[in-house]
Amino acid sequence: MLIFFGGSLYMSIRISRKRENADGYMTGGGKIGFGISAASMTATWIWASSMYASATSGYTYGLSGPIHYGLWGAFMILLIYPFGRRIRQVAPNAHTIAEVMFARHGRSSQLMLAGSNVLGSLISLTSNLIAGGALIELLSPFSFTQGIVAIAIGVLAYTLWSGFRASVLTDFAQVVAMLGAVAIIIPFIFFAAGGPELFTIGANNLTPEQGNFFSSDAFFNQGAPYIAAVLAYAIGNQTIAQRLFAVREDLIKKTFVTATVGYGSAIIGIGMLGVIALYAGVQPLDGDMNNIIPQMAATYLPPVLIALFFIMIIGSLSSTADADMTALSSIMMADIYGQNIAGKKKAKPKTMLLVGRLTMVGATAAALCFASMEFSILDLLVFVGAMWGALVFPVISSFYWKRVTNLAFSAAVIAGLAIFIPVRFELLDMSGWFGIFSDVLSVLGVGVVLGLMAFGFFGKKVALIVGTVATVAVAPFGIGFLHNYATLSGSLVAYSVSTIVCVAITMCNRTREFDFDLIRERTGNFDVSDVVSEASADTREEGPAEAEPVASSSTVSREV
Amino acid sequence: METVLLTAYVLVWPVVVIGTLFVIVRAFTKEAREAKKQGKSII
Repeated sequence: MLIFFGGSLYMSIRISRKRENADGYMTGGGKIGFGISAASMTATWIWASSMYASATSGYTYGLSGPIHYGLWGAFMILLIYPFGRRIRQVAPNAHTIAEVMFARHGRSSQLMLAGSNVLGSLISLTSNLIAGGALIELLSPFSFTQGIVAIAIGVLAYTLWSGFRASVLTDFAQVVAMLGAVAIIIPFIFFAAGGPELFTIGANNLTPEQGNFFSSDAFFNQGAPYIAAVLAYAIGNQTIAQRLFAVREDLIKKTFVTATVGYGSAIIGIGMLGVIALYAGVQPLDGDMNNIIPQMAATYLPPVLIALFFIMIIGSLSSTADADMTALSSIMMADIYGQNIAGKKKAKPKTMLLVGRLTMVGATAAALCFASMEFSILDLLVFVGAMWGALVFPVISSFYWKRVTNLAFSAAVIAGLAIFIPVRFELLDMSGWFGIFSDVLSVLGVGVVLGLMAFGFFGKKVALIVGTVATVAVAPFGIGFLHNYATLSGSLVAYSVSTIVCVAITMCNRTREFDFDLIRERTGNFDVSDVVSEASADTREEGPAEAEPVASSSTVSREV
Repeated sequence: METVLLTAYVLVWPVVVIGTLFVIVRAFTKEAREAKKQGKSII
């Protein structure tokens, strides 16, 4: 751990500046190359919980389990990229999507998105600390509390001064360690557990459903809820948005595709440890599925590879934890201080940096408290996931549809959340009329999800066809059935209701049309002096260059 | 036959991981070299 965090700190010191640039602290200046950005996107998206969850899925649902976890998670990255290109097109110098929503609609939309981002990142940070603490407790003489404190201090030490720049640079080293470990550990454990013969000897350990690659059980309990969450997590997660605003605009597609393949192969591969454990008849220690991966490592790996395994887990949780810290700091810097407290024109870069660093310290302290209290984060995660689901259509449509208003956005999110709660927690009798009502909304939700996915790649016409066909095709067997899967139904109704409300209110607006060029004006860099000097440096090196548009005029009329 | 397919199913993922790692490392090395040549920080 000392070598790992010491190395990360050394890398961070190498790139640190006495006076960091506030925009660089949030997005690295928006000109990051393919190698670093692809490494960073992959490292950030692979977190310790996703490794544990994929192995759990493999152990629980058998052969198709890791696919139903890892493949859809990978698609999350891929599906967001067409929207990402559009977002960068209208807001090339933004730092957060919430900041763009402020420029597009106003304060309530911004704070809804920023609030969900803050909760999501805090939960993720806590979850990573818990995973690290549990691993240290299991594999070393140190206690859980000592483990979480050591990891928190280690990550904070290398991220605090340079923020996002340190986060993405160390991500490269972490992704090399992680992917390298995955490539060695999976085949090693497979052959140590018996190799190909395992599939003959251990076949009896699987139920027919677990041995079926097209298991409906795996699809409805693991895959389908995850597909429904795909867009929600991609839109609602600031760590993804931050990298979207950081990578050079022409490299967005390449970066996202590489991260999709990297994440998918690593996580599905780790999920295979769950499948191997199932065939080998391994019983999770204390019945806790999170013990499967450490148990497999302890049983089948020699000490050197256990150390490599340890680095893999620490690398996965550190890369996500530092991304969460920088995500939280950029929201506080740009959305809270920059847009709401000081105002775009009066925001001081030096104060912004102070806000960012204090946020990191505060967030780490809060995550340590939640982790040490062994606070159950699952219920909170469900709420945040639903909020993200309710945000997807309003956010995406705001980037394409000129008539969407702040009222349409806000009412849609609130309505989506309001219907989610009774459906997800089955507060009303789901066997009666409410169950059927929920199913109708869920079926519409299927159409919305698939329509939005198609829209990103093929445009409005194809999206409407896909959405309509999907709704009609799912309706006959979905109505009267889907309410049996509360997690899936909860997500789908959040999508459908927010879409219906957003479309209905927007259709009533026949007079006001938003000018997307205003977003570019309203979301410029905060640290203007540095941009000017950088532009001059570029001009000297590359000949005449056009300076980026900077700080906006707050007198530009804002849509109400 | 089923055993061969299942073995391939388990082992294909580390192979894809190695391919991705190669792409990322090659791109990073190239960027680091260019940045050094221009006297700039890579990030």
